[in-house]
Amino acid sequence: MLSSGSRVLKFAFQDFFRNFWLSFVTLTILVLALFSINLLIIFNLVAQASIGAIEDKVNVSVYFKPEITQDQVLAVSKNLQGLNEVKDVTYISSEQALENFKTRHQDNPEILQSIDELGKNPLGASLIVTAKVTDQYTKIMQYLAEPHYDNLIESKNFDDHRLVISRISNLMSKVNTGVVAVALVFVIIALLIIFNAIRMAIYTHKEEIMAMKLLGATNWFVQAPFLLEGIIFAILSVLLTIIIVYPLVGVIQPYVSSLLETNFNLVTYFTNNFFTIFGLELLGAILINLISSYWAVSKYVRV
Amino acid sequence: MIYLKKISKIFYPKSIALKDINLHIKPKEFVSIVGQSGAGKSTMIKILTAEEKASNGNVVVGGWDITDISQKEVPVLRRQIGVVYQDFKLLQKKTVFENVAFALEVCGISNSRINQVVPQVLKIVGLKDKMDRYPQQLSGGEIQRAAIARALVHRPKILLADEPTGNLDSLNTKDIIDLLLKINEFGTTVVLVTHNKDVVNRIKKRVVLLESGKLVSDEEEGKYIL
Ligand SMILES: Nc1ncnc2c1ncn2[C@@H]1O[C@H](COP(=O)(O)OP(=O)(O)OP(=O)(O)O)[C@@H](O)[C@H]1O
Ligand SMILES: [Mg+2]
Repeated sequence: MLSSGSRVLKFAFQDFFRNFWLSFVTLTILVLALFSINLLIIFNLVAQASIGAIEDKVNVSVYFKPEITQDQVLAVSKNLQGLNEVKDVTYISSEQALENFKTRHQDNPEILQSIDELGKNPLGASLIVTAKVTDQYTKIMQYLAEPHYDNLIESKNFDDHRLVISRISNLMSKVNTGVVAVALVFVIIALLIIFNAIRMAIYTHKEEIMAMKLLGATNWFVQAPFLLEGIIFAILSVLLTIIIVYPLVGVIQPYVSSLLETNFNLVTYFTNNFFTIFGLELLGAILINLISSYWAVSKYVRV
Repeated sequence: MIYLKKISKIFYPKSIALKDINLHIKPKEFVSIVGQSGAGKSTMIKILTAEEKASNGNVVVGGWDITDISQKEVPVLRRQIGVVYQDFKLLQKKTVFENVAFALEVCGISNSRINQVVPQVLKIVGLKDKMDRYPQQLSGGEIQRAAIARALVHRPKILLADEPTGNLDSLNTKDIIDLLLKINEFGTTVVLVTHNKDVVNRIKKRVVLLESGKLVSDEEEGKYIL
């Protein structure tokens, strides 16, 4: 058993190197398939991150009448925070609002002058409300439309965002189903290509497999080197994929962060999920290689 | 050593390769099987190695009834028989040494034993200085001798040789037949399939003649009469 184990190992490596060109092609196909799956993962991450970035910029601003006191505003804020849909409520006092207004118009002396001429702060306090999920803004709006808020609230600017928000929710669900569909099609194509590549590789060994059987080799003895080779292929292809994916992610990362203005980091994501991403890919590659090798060899061992 | 009892082999739909063959080959015998192309000679060999299953009849090899042999037992049977195939079946990606060694590796023989036995056998067939070559780098006669070395290396009780002198000139043919006779003298049962009239007439051993799947003559010290 020991010597037959080492023989299996010997045959597997011998075959790998003596059919170097074929091994190279098979390996390339495996790497390309895995690489494309990683590209898909990267695309999905970037898509999610950009949607997240846009969503973060969406909020409802609730402007209160100038005469409303801070306590009243904070009471409303507390009520809002009590809602399930609300993620965050930021309070901006009327003084802060005036300050913001002045900095925003600092290049326009006419406006600044007219503010000064008024002699008092014309701006009320405001609340900036963000929802947990974009389609929950309508619920929040409904809540704020209740009659007892009428004499507190001067205006709500949600309407400006309604279109953007609905577009984003739309886009997001489309991107999600799109990515899932593309991924599915892709995985199927990758599986078929790998399956075929291995079948071709083993087809070239048809004569050899039959000769082995005629010399009295057991099915196991014939199968094992091919199965082992399948595992070697899987490990090598995942290693090569890692070697390609990391530099790529490193190159993309600066563009992603400058484009999206978020602190989402692809490299960190891949590092944190290293074992999940590449472990699963390794498992998948081993499985498909083993199944295709086993199936392809089985056709010829029945001599 | 070998019993064929009322063996028939029909390849569907309608090719009858063997019909009601009765044949008994005793231990240490040397039997030539002759007959025209398509007479069923290779089919008979294939039935003996369980490569083909007889449609009818019983097959006994070395006291073992292999008529309904199971997939699991086939390797055990094949390790007891040496076969020189009509198309040799040498592995192109392996050297002569590795090809011969392979027959032993399959049986689970240790490497040290392999390194000892394989050169001995290659010396017997005169290929000792060419054992690191690949089959493409050998002449026709050398390929046939390599195939014989592989069939012999595990010291089978039975050697089946299907046209081992197929495309050889008379000198090479003589060498190979002498080799087979020598192996037979050492106690191996030899079944030789051949077309070659001169060979059969020269060796003066038992001759079995097949014609369209039927056994038409079986003579001690026979001649090839056609
Ligand atoms: N797998 C098969 N399927 C169908 N017919 C077959 C098959 N193998 C052999 N035959 C037929 O069986 C008959 C005997 O074939 P076989 O190979 O035994 O002939 P042979 O005596 O060895 O001929 P040769 O001297 O040319 O090698 C032939 O008619 C052949 O066509
Ligand atoms: Mg034949």
